[in-house]
Amino acid sequence: MQQREEKQLESSLESIIQRVNDLKASLASMIFKIENEYESLNWPKFLDNYALISGQLISLSKVLSHEKCTNLRNLTVLPLMLSPERDEQLIQMTEGRITTFSHDLVPDYLRTKLEPLAEKKMLQLEHKAQGLQYDNAQKQIAAYQKVVTHVWDIVSKAREEWEVEASSRGNTQQNSSVADTHLLVAAVGMGKGLKMGPNPNGQPNSTSGGMMVAPGRPGGPPGQGPIPPSSQAMSMSKAPSAIKTNIKSAAQMHPYNR
Amino acid sequence: MAALGTAIDSLTAAMKCNIIPNQEYLLQGSVLDQYVEVLLHRLRGLCDNVDSGPETFNDHELCYSLRANNVNTPMALPLRVRRALDVSDAPFQLRYVGQQELGDKNRPTVVRSCIDMACSSTIIEFLSELGCRLDFEYIARGYMFRKGRMKVTVSKIFKMNGIANKPGEGVEAISQSYLVELSVQAPSGQDAIAEDMRVFAEQLRPLVQLEKIDYKRLGNMM
Repeated sequence: MQQREEKQLESSLESIIQRVNDLKASLASMIFKIENEYESLNWPKFLDNYALISGQLISLSKVLSHEKCTNLRNLTVLPLMLSPERDEQLIQMTEGRITTFSHDLVPDYLRTKLEPLAEKKMLQLEHKAQGLQYDNAQKQIAAYQKVVTHVWDIVSKAREEWEVEASSRGNTQQNSSVADTHLLVAAVGMGKGLKMGPNPNGQPNSTSGGMMVAPGRPGGPPGQGPIPPSSQAMSMSKAPSAIKTNIKSAAQMHPYNR
Repeated sequence: MAALGTAIDSLTAAMKCNIIPNQEYLLQGSVLDQYVEVLLHRLRGLCDNVDSGPETFNDHELCYSLRANNVNTPMALPLRVRRALDVSDAPFQLRYVGQQELGDKNRPTVVRSCIDMACSSTIIEFLSELGCRLDFEYIARGYMFRKGRMKVTVSKIFKMNGIANKPGEGVEAISQSYLVELSVQAPSGQDAIAEDMRVFAEQLRPLVQLEKIDYKRLGNMM
């Protein structure tokens, strides 16, 4: 029974140590980056590091709260021997941070209570609370409650105003028009309202298969738009039949055939 | 011929490796003229090119189609040529845009296949010789922003009047709004970017409603 518990403790300690070491490594690398690469460090990188650290903290706390993990609170660390001499093994274990396991250091490192100063202050406050008269306490509670409700009122009023403003702005102030969006998209995408050819309804002129834009404007400004119908007919009659076959073969070998 | 073979080989290899950005993810919307300054201000804050300011453009787009003579299956291959009117030595751009796929509700953007290439001014002559017909043309003037891989354009669309000799003269705006487009070109299968676009579009509300717009339904409506 005891052996099993010991094993469990060992394995959970191992996983905790591993996670703490991970955390330490990423903290160290972040500190290094801040100190040495502050010129090239950008926000995304910094936030990535931060996200890594917070992820490791979460996984550490998960390990600690896992039911298989021994409750560390129930365990005691008992220093058996203190010595003022330099301990090489300890230096190695703590990476040079603690050199001696001595009387003045141990109480700080093995401390599980609050800091002495904080502890003293807490005690004072507790004494004060105990010494308080009942009526006085009631009065103070009432005053405090009054202040809190007042602040609460201010906040909720501001929120109400803000919401009303937001909703009214959403309703009245029209920044864009759906009709215009559709008009523009149809114009750019399908040429609605931009076509000036013989077919005003925008339907492609399917009968005029191989009709061409009049040649003879090589590279020049093509800003004239489609040519008037009369000259289109002319160019159609002029167009040699070879072009038609060209189109066909081009269409056949084209990879975007549908 | 050998050189051509290797060119096609390397193209097919590139296609196989899926490194060609041949998919365009697209959201569209519009903003009324009087609020465009507000939108530009917000985009300046949201996008990458903060210090340089938005890039302006003044482009002439010509939309051609290559039609097959097949009566039973009428098909048209759309090709678009775009040229900058403000930068005289910029290359022309030839662009093929395929059918758009709307997908289901879960897909945040329209996806359409699309291929872009740079070319010289002779492309217009070349397309004409090929038998392409000019369907329509317009002028787009506006501002371009970048946010990572995303591109945002805010443009005014102008109709060209046939009388004008030079593009840029005698044009008239077709509506009282600016067209707003949010797009990303990526190799196929990178659907994660669409989610980023949805989040970005959310940040522009309620100023602009960037949406998936169905061209087919639009064709029936108007």
